[in-house]
Amino acid sequence: MKKLDISKLDVLALMRYDACTRCGECTSSCPTGGEAQDVELVTPRGKILRLREFYKQQYGLRARLLGPREIPEEQLAELVSRAYECTICGQCKTVCPAHLDTIEMWENMREFLVANKLAPLPAHEQIIKSIENYDNPWMQPRTQRSRWSKRIEKEVKIKDSLKERCDVLFFVGCTSAYDPNIRSMAEDMARVLAKAKVDFGTLGNEEGCCGSTLLRTGLLDAARRMAEKNIERFEKASPSTIVTSCAGCYKTLRQDYPKIGKVGPKIVHSTQLVRELIDSGRLVLDKRVEGKVAFHDPCHLGRHNKLYDEPRKILEAVPGLELVEMERNREEARCCGAGGGVKTAFPELAQKISFMRVEDAERTGASILTTSCPFCYQSLKAAIDVKGSKLKMMDLMELVRAACS
Amino acid sequence: MKDRAWLYLPFFSAVLIICAAMLVLPYETVYVRDRTYLRLFLVTIVVCVFVFFVGTLFNIVIWMQGKGLAGTPERRLARTLLRASRFVLSRRFGKVIAVFLGDALYLSKLKGRSSLRWAMHLLILGGFVLMFVLDLLVTFSLDFLKYEPMIVSDGWAKLWIRDFAFDLAGAMMLAGLLIAALRRFVWKPKILRTELPDATSILFLLVVVLGGFILEGMGISGRIPGHEGSPEYSFLGYLFSLVTPSSAGDYYDQAWLIHGVLSALLIAYIPFSNLFHMIATPVAIEVDRMLSKEASS
Repeated sequence: MKKLDISKLDVLALMRYDACTRCGECTSSCPTGGEAQDVELVTPRGKILRLREFYKQQYGLRARLLGPREIPEEQLAELVSRAYECTICGQCKTVCPAHLDTIEMWENMREFLVANKLAPLPAHEQIIKSIENYDNPWMQPRTQRSRWSKRIEKEVKIKDSLKERCDVLFFVGCTSAYDPNIRSMAEDMARVLAKAKVDFGTLGNEEGCCGSTLLRTGLLDAARRMAEKNIERFEKASPSTIVTSCAGCYKTLRQDYPKIGKVGPKIVHSTQLVRELIDSGRLVLDKRVEGKVAFHDPCHLGRHNKLYDEPRKILEAVPGLELVEMERNREEARCCGAGGGVKTAFPELAQKISFMRVEDAERTGASILTTSCPFCYQSLKAAIDVKGSKLKMMDLMELVRAACS
Repeated sequence: MKDRAWLYLPFFSAVLIICAAMLVLPYETVYVRDRTYLRLFLVTIVVCVFVFFVGTLFNIVIWMQGKGLAGTPERRLARTLLRASRFVLSRRFGKVIAVFLGDALYLSKLKGRSSLRWAMHLLILGGFVLMFVLDLLVTFSLDFLKYEPMIVSDGWAKLWIRDFAFDLAGAMMLAGLLIAALRRFVWKPKILRTELPDATSILFLLVVVLGGFILEGMGISGRIPGHEGSPEYSFLGYLFSLVTPSSAGDYYDQAWLIHGVLSALLIAYIPFSNLFHMIATPVAIEVDRMLSKEASS
């Protein structure tokens, strides 16, 4: 009989499973469960009820008196699969009237599933191996990490922060560094920093994956190892600020790293730093960029970190741009569908959700869709291309760079 | 063993004291005429209250088996309770009360999202809390203080508290439960499954609340002592009495026992149902708020 080990579930999570009122407020707004599939088990309510039912069968009063009951393998397998269909976007946290911190709950649920040898999913294993072997999820050699900077090396001076002291460390992130279609995001960020005369550098090929993918899929031990290595590098570089343009890296560095080790430098997202640079007059946006732009709030930046104003203030500062809001914005923003390992394990589901988000943007009449996360960018760009939408996908830093003379 | 003794000995002692206190009260002013029914009810309620506390404790012990604390679950719980009791005496307790009132009782977040659901929840919760407070107040003033205006049929406290306020609390619960039943069974979102526990909780509560009004209607129409004064103060019970034949009063004691037993069973059912959120949700809200405050400071 498979005995579930609940010692891997947080005390707080166990409390929250009982605190769920079963009201179902979360079901209809859940992008993967309610909106894309109409499957209750994927929704927060469904997952909570099922897992609670399982562990109560083995740990409840009745189990104490009459012995634990067996949980059918296929039911467990279904729960595992459904649990990984969640993008951990946090929409449920926004709507939950019982104030449950569902983001922590889902991450912890996956950690529990991994600890009980029920997860990760086979589709995630390749990525995990890649991170462990190559320090990135894209199966690319370490030596290629800083290749993105070659194209701009004559134009922008990027220091090697492990050799030269610099004020700001630009943590590039694996997606911008390795994906040839997205490398321009890293380039634009570097150009913007150079334009504002920021003394910055990168870790070059020494930068390791932040571990976000591992954390979101429940592999805490592997993530901890990645984090410890990066923290060591941060200490060696000792910048005053670490900036990242990836929302996933930002969440991981800001929220998860302090639980693992001491992170001395201030962690900021590119939108925070650039807004500061604009406000202080160090970065002047004086070129017109014509267009109507809709901003997609990345879940890791918005709901997970409450950064809603910074990107909007930047867009408002770009001459010629008109910012329009999608009906679902800020805390209510629809997820792009890529997060939480969904794009890897369930690409069709991820695409379906990204289509819905692109349609949200189309309804605003915008000509440009922008965001400040490479993962969201990747998924929304693909949706625009597949759908044949007239929208133009642009990274926020691309717009900022275009506005700098 | 030592850990268990530290937790279970004080716990069971406290539960036994509560149960004993329930048994020794005189209950001179209850409406039931035959004391045998009262004794049967008392036995049931004592057992049910015991089951409620034990069930609640075991649920909390399950929480304590999770990650994040050191020691056996019993030791963790004993330590947590000790810390919580110290917290009650601290200056930050005011904040705890404010969070409880705003987030757990007034449901500030729900208000902004759905007025109907907020009203529904507030009616059920408000009615439940009001009834609990009134029960304590009436028991204390009747059985300890022997407060005359609460006993005599035309006393202000009898009319406004025992008759009107109890009916008001019941009416609030009834209205809230009817909305809940409609939302669960009629207007529910397509994706929402109604499982047995969802239906049982709503129906169980409805039966108990409606049963209370039916019983009151029987008492008023049958002119049972305590109900014969100014029945219009029990406004909803009075309405039920209009459609209840006076001969129904002959079965008042039996109906009283059934209502009492169902109410007691509902109490025992709480830890084993989704109604346990009445306890778990405020606790989770408080712990979350306090932990996030600690983290940010």
